Amino acid sequence: MTFDRPSGSDLVTFGGYCAAAAIYIAIGVAWLDFLLSFWVGLAYVVVTCWAVPTLVRRLA
Amino acid sequence: MSWVAHDLEPYAIQKHTMIKLAFVPLLIGSYSPDMMTKWFVYGIHLGPWELKASDPAQFHRGWPGFGFTHSLIYGVAIGLIIWKVFGSRLWGVSFLIGQWAHALTDTGDTVGTMLLFPWTLHFHLDAWAYAGQTGRYVDAAAYFSGLGGMWDLVWIVYGLFSWRVLTSSYFDTRIYAADAFWPWLNRAVPRGALLTVYRAAFFYGTSRWIAWTIWAHVIHHYPYDLSWGGPHWVPAAHP
Repeated sequence: MTFDRPSGSDLVTFGGYCAAAAIYIAIGVAWLDFLLSFWVGLAYVVVTCWAVPTLVRRLA
Repeated sequence: MSWVAHDLEPYAIQKHTMIKLAFVPLLIGSYSPDMMTKWFVYGIHLGPWELKASDPAQFHRGWPGFGFTHSLIYGVAIGLIIWKVFGSRLWGVSFLIGQWAHALTDTGDTVGTMLLFPWTLHFHLDAWAYAGQTGRYVDAAAYFSGLGGMWDLVWIVYGLFSWRVLTSSYFDTRIYAADAFWPWLNRAVPRGALLTVYRAAFFYGTSRWIAWTIWAHVIHHYPYDLSWGGPHWVPAAHP
C-alpha cells in the first residue's frame, strides 16, 4: 500500500468533513440514539458537508 | 456481529474487484443481512409492549430464525431476483458481493454464520464475542472493547490510506460512470450532493466508531480485552 500526498484542496475538503464529524460525534456521545440510524447520518452529512457550504458560497 | 465494517468494506471491495461494480447495491448488499433483523435482536418498545427475540443469537444467525440472511445462497437468491426482475446484472452482482462480504465478516464472532445454508453448520472464527443478547449498549461496549472493534479500525485506517477512493475525481471516473443510477439521480440532485452521498457510509462508519469508543472507554471505562474471543467480561453467545 502506498500513500500519495493529498493536495491543499483535498485537505480543505477533508478538514470540513472532520469538523462535521467532530460535531456528529459530540452529539452522538451525548445522545446515543443519534448514532443508530444510517439515514440520520446520511442526512446530517449532506446538510453539513454539502448544503451549508453551498449556501454559504452562494451568499458570499 | 460487526458494527462498522459493513459501512467501510464496500469502498475497498469496489476499488479492488476486477469486475465492474455499482457502489449503491454493493452497500445495500453489505447492509442487507441485518436490515430486517437487528431491531428485533435488541428489541424495541411500542407503547407498553417490548418486541424482542427470546433468543437473539438464534433469531439473528440461526435456523429456525433469520440466520439464512447471512448465508451465501441468500445473496445469490436476492442477486438473481435483482438481475431478472429489475433487469440489471450489474446491480445483482454488486448486491451479491456486498452480501457475501457481510456474511463472511460476521464469521469472525463466536456465533458465526451459516454460510452454506441450508446446511446449518455455523462457521465461526471466535475472534470476538457475540453479545447481541445482552442488549444494544452492553453489546456496543463489548464490541468496541475487543477484536471486533479493532477489525473495524483496520478498515478505517485502510480507507484513510486509500483516501483517493473518496475524492471527487474518483467518484466521477469510477463510481458515477459505472452505474446509470447516478446520472439518473443527478437529474434531480446536484452532483456535489451525490458526491457527499457516496462518501456518507465512510463518514457514518468512521464517526460511529470514534463515538462508540469514546462512550465505552472515556465515559464508561469498560475494560479493553483484545484477547481472542474477548472481551471475556461479557457472556458470549455460541451457536
